[in-house]
Amino acid sequence: MKNIILLSIITVFFLSCSQNQSGEAEEVAIEQAAVSIPVLTISSFDAEAGKYLDSEIEVSGIVDHVCKHSGKKLKLVTDGASVHVESETRFDDELVGNEIKLTGIVRELRIDESYCLQMEDDNTKKHKEGETNDEDFTHKQELIQSYRDSMVVAEVDHLSFYTLDFVALEKKGVE
Amino acid sequence: MKMKWLRRWSRILHRDIGYFFIGTSLIYGISGIALNHLQDWNPSYSVDLNSFTTSLNLKKGTNKDVIEKLIAKEGYGLAYKSHYYPENDLIKVFLKGGSTLLVNTTTGEGRSEFLKRRAVFYEVNYLHYNPNDWWMWFSDIFAGALIFLSITSFFIVKGWKGAWGRGGIYIVLGFIIPIVFLFIFS
Repeated sequence: MKNIILLSIITVFFLSCSQNQSGEAEEVAIEQAAVSIPVLTISSFDAEAGKYLDSEIEVSGIVDHVCKHSGKKLKLVTDGASVHVESETRFDDELVGNEIKLTGIVRELRIDESYCLQMEDDNTKKHKEGETNDEDFTHKQELIQSYRDSMVVAEVDHLSFYTLDFVALEKKGVE
Repeated sequence: MKMKWLRRWSRILHRDIGYFFIGTSLIYGISGIALNHLQDWNPSYSVDLNSFTTSLNLKKGTNKDVIEKLIAKEGYGLAYKSHYYPENDLIKVFLKGGSTLLVNTTTGEGRSEFLKRRAVFYEVNYLHYNPNDWWMWFSDIFAGALIFLSITSFFIVKGWKGAWGRGGIYIVLGFIIPIVFLFIFS
């Protein structure tokens, strides 16, 4: 009986700690929301995201997909365009199909020749160690070549792919 | 005398804490097996794929009533959630519960993906993934309890079946197996 009471006290202690922390997090989120955040469309995201690197922006769209494995990646879409969002915490997979307004920090993945060389090394190493099969190896090689071809065609020394680090979201539209 | 006291309290706490965490052990045990085989199946949903053909005009700009007609015929009786056009001649319709319809608006060929939650598995997997801070702290307490149960198990049985007898052999084997795996595979 004494043991049960002691265990209950410990559980309640941890409960109150986590509730205090979540209360503080909510206040911070509301303060941040009050500051004006640039709004982009998904269609124009790839073209304009570079202007807001490492800054918060807002986009709206439909959740097409939540990563089945980690749950920490989400694809936000509109007609003919998409944005990839990553988070440190899991997304609810019930979000799929919902129209949402999402705030995130713009991040850049810069692919240049040295990145391609590193990808090739990693690909060869993984294939040699048996981590990937022939099909995966070939597919990766083709992807690396497509990056190189794109840089040549565009006459640039690097490609930029933009994603969002998740900050907050708000559901809108039909539930 | 000290050993007697230690053995008595080890049994009491091992028993009571063990009883308390039976449910949580089952949650993590069942979801652990389910999630271990992520590459072989979808542990939270059963997925049913079907192909169909439709003569409905679903091109961009179509009335939502037309989409509702498509859902009425191919949508498993589920409600409309949203839709968009991934490409000019492709429409993707989202239904309640995660199911989807994908239709080529030029040829009329379509594919439906019907998702149904797996009873019990969906719920235990949901908890396994730490849905919020409250559960995270509770699962930390559970993990701590498992460590505690491991330590008390050394003292609950005395004699040749205990940790200093046959039980000790099982303990050593239980350590050797993961160590061997580490040597071979890491």
